[in-house]
Amino acid sequence: MSAVAVPVRRPKASTRIWALARRHVLSVYSLLFFVYLLLPIAIVAAFSFNHPTGRFNYVWEGFTWDNWRYWDGVPGLRSAIVLSLEIGLLASIVATVLGTLIALALVRYGFRGRGATNLLVFLPLSTPEIVLGASLLTLFLNANVVFGFWTILIAHVMFCISFAVVTVKARLIGFDRHLEEAAMDLGANEWVTFARVTLPLVAPAILAALLLCFAISIDDFVVTYFNSGSRVTFPLFVWGAARNGAPPQVNVIGTAIFAVAVGAMLANVLVQTRRTKGVA
Amino acid sequence: MSEHLTRRQLLERAGSAGIVLALPGWLAACGGSDEDTGAFTPPRQRKLAKTLRFSNWTLYMDTNNKNHTHPTLDEFERLHGVHVAYTEDVNDNASYFGKIQAPLSRGQLIDRDIIVMTDNSRYPSLLIRRRWVEKLDKNAIPNIANLQPALQHPGWDPDRTYSLPWQSGMTGIAFNDSLTDPVLSIDDLLGNPKLKGKITVLSEMADALSLVMLSNGDDPAKVTDASFDRAIAKIQKAVDSGQIRNFTGNEYAPPLAKGDLAAAMSWSGDIAQLPNENLHWNLPTDGGDIWTDNMLIPKGGDVYTASVYMNYVYDPKVAAEIEAGNPKKGSDGIFYICPVVGAKEEIQKTNPELADNELIFPTDEMLDNVHIFDAEALNNEKYVTAWQNLISA
Amino acid sequence: MGFIHRHRGLTPYLLLAPGVAWLAIFFLVPLGFLAYQSLQSGSIDFGYAFTWSWGNYWEAVRDYRPQFVRSLAYAGVATALALVVSYPVAYWIAFRGGRWKNLLLLLIVAPFFVTYLIRTLAWQTILADHGVVVRTLHELHVLGSSGRLLNTAVAVVAGITYNFLPFMALPLYVSLEQIDQRLIEAAEDLYASRLQAFVRVTLPLSLPGVVAGTLLTFIPAAGDFINAQLLGSPRNHMIGNVIQSKFLELTDYPAAASMSFVLIAAIVLAVLAYARAVGTEQLTG
Repeated sequence: MSAVAVPVRRPKASTRIWALARRHVLSVYSLLFFVYLLLPIAIVAAFSFNHPTGRFNYVWEGFTWDNWRYWDGVPGLRSAIVLSLEIGLLASIVATVLGTLIALALVRYGFRGRGATNLLVFLPLSTPEIVLGASLLTLFLNANVVFGFWTILIAHVMFCISFAVVTVKARLIGFDRHLEEAAMDLGANEWVTFARVTLPLVAPAILAALLLCFAISIDDFVVTYFNSGSRVTFPLFVWGAARNGAPPQVNVIGTAIFAVAVGAMLANVLVQTRRTKGVA
Repeated sequence: MSEHLTRRQLLERAGSAGIVLALPGWLAACGGSDEDTGAFTPPRQRKLAKTLRFSNWTLYMDTNNKNHTHPTLDEFERLHGVHVAYTEDVNDNASYFGKIQAPLSRGQLIDRDIIVMTDNSRYPSLLIRRRWVEKLDKNAIPNIANLQPALQHPGWDPDRTYSLPWQSGMTGIAFNDSLTDPVLSIDDLLGNPKLKGKITVLSEMADALSLVMLSNGDDPAKVTDASFDRAIAKIQKAVDSGQIRNFTGNEYAPPLAKGDLAAAMSWSGDIAQLPNENLHWNLPTDGGDIWTDNMLIPKGGDVYTASVYMNYVYDPKVAAEIEAGNPKKGSDGIFYICPVVGAKEEIQKTNPELADNELIFPTDEMLDNVHIFDAEALNNEKYVTAWQNLISA
Repeated sequence: MGFIHRHRGLTPYLLLAPGVAWLAIFFLVPLGFLAYQSLQSGSIDFGYAFTWSWGNYWEAVRDYRPQFVRSLAYAGVATALALVVSYPVAYWIAFRGGRWKNLLLLLIVAPFFVTYLIRTLAWQTILADHGVVVRTLHELHVLGSSGRLLNTAVAVVAGITYNFLPFMALPLYVSLEQIDQRLIEAAEDLYASRLQAFVRVTLPLSLPGVVAGTLLTFIPAAGDFINAQLLGSPRNHMIGNVIQSKFLELTDYPAAASMSFVLIAAIVLAVLAYARAVGTEQLTG
């Protein structure tokens, strides 16, 4: 039996192009989005190579490697960025942990005070930073606390918790409980279920919360200013330098952190890819 | 163009200018009393502390960028055995005051011996009025005689009991000659339709109102309701017509450098730092103002040690080094207006170009043409509220 | 679809305890002090005294209503813009991101590593009057020949939108990524078009993310001041600017405090209205 050859009409070129475009419009859009998002970073990076004659780094005057070579040339800059990174890492971890716990409680349990807890979570977001920072300062003064690393950390965790709660909640609300039920039906107790079913599935939200909290912490100025004592974080340094001219090394540091973070993440992805390829 | 004045000529000329400038200050001092009544001050110790805690603005000290040192501070330590704990945590007068008023109003100390705040804001006079600063130990500051006469009697601290200038600056008009004809007066700045939407005015009340009042023919050193209202009305008109693009701190610098602004009410030191050759800065024809960053000793600070340090920086050699850096030590200076008489001559020896720079060593004509804003007006709630409402419509 | 455990004794309280304690001590107590301050009167010269000064609240609303309204408007527009702009990208990362997801998420928050001041300076360079962008808009007659982008309401809203994009995008992603793609396939098997599948399956399932992102963007944006200060003109100032000036320049702490509470109240009301419209489940879980 021979198959009858049925002529297949190739779709018109315009239809094919349209289908191609539709498939990629989202990718193209996303690419444009990232260009838009990172355009200022590109400018910042470009100006990190600027060679200003005066103290201000506003107009392009010439290329130089000096700023990168002497990135540490501005007194106080290194300790400022180190402090910001330390606080950022610590605060985002603590805030995410505390926030995740709150989110779990809010989404999964009925208890008295749910409404009040929700309100409590939203209030720090709605309070203007200047009065938030100043009031916290008052608290610390009344408690006769020494200002410095710990007061900054406490403040940062305080205003990051809300972001962590809301972000993790968004994940938990749509969470499919049947998976957990299935695990428990198969004999796992609550803790095991939590650790091996719930947590991995909520992991993307936890990572997102970490990233968000870190970003907020490393960029915070107002609340930090009031509660930092004589410690200087990176934003404090930049704002302070603005009057007399932020040196190009500030651009260098910002660009470097960006590059290191992205580079590390990229390396991580590539390593994972190799690993799965190797296994497969 | 400035001629080379001998020190004596400078003092003589500045002296007469100083009297004119000082008169309002003396009058103001007669009005209010700053006498210490009843507040307990501990007996003065004349022993140097081990550490001097100094809070200053960023990039406001001579710096060796290679090894992160401040040579004059190191030298001070060598001479007197006092380590200077130098923090650059003043970034804005209002914010810094907002931060330190919290402990000070509770009677707590802020762990500083010297802080630096600008007198075109209300905060130095406020600190004095609230008795949150200590008196200087003038016996330890013989070099106070080197203070520029023009700066000796500001209205808010007529006898320099509590403060000493660190650096000064002048307020005037900068314009970009490739974008506009010279803008030399406030009337031109605020009224020229060709400049619509291409100028900015300073958000500091003292600076903006000084210049506008002078353009109205009023005296900024003695603000009255009438002269205040006239100045406000003039500025309001320019806001409503869209003439004024924005009220700024030194954020005018980037758009000015890039050509977004044709002219701006601006501070002298900034223009000296911008690379755009088309930018020119002048005192307005009707007059400008001079402001000063002042060293103050907050409550609880070690008066003697702080005073010894102040004496140290009022030595013309040291002042010259802070101002212009020291090539031998590889340090950069800060290039603002030096309040110490004699520093110019020192700099002449090593860097004559700098000594001739009018923006760093203003001529006498310039010093004649600058005024200091009425300190009482700065603390008048009605005025300050009206001003804030104007700039924050 | 979530269902609530029956009341399980101590568990929820144990989960809540650390976070709530932290907020109670380091937020509620200061907030209490702020409330106390809002009912004070006085001045920096003579001190402040607690006088049940409810007038502060009345004055705040009476004198600064335009700024309040403007703040809510700018924040609202910026939030809507952020939603529209971020949703497709969050979708793309969630469904097509593959192993690059985490990297892409990092890229979204990466601008924050460069301080606000520096990245706004970069925007001022990009949007400069004589820059490429503005000149192109002149050519296209989108902007009048003397028009500008900087120091306008447009710049302020654009600045707010840009700076809050991560707060919208990340929650959106978090919710989208969870959607089981088989549901969409099932819908399409049942003859739904791609668009229908999106509107009737994906969109509703991503609603928790939409709500989360909206809240995390709108609420802080309403109190923002810095974008208006650097990118706006005096006519674009928000209530955040007024509170700043009341606190710092005027040292009128009672006014700043009472204004803050009026803002908080306005925001809470707006959020409640939003919750009603969206359905409280999405808000409170």
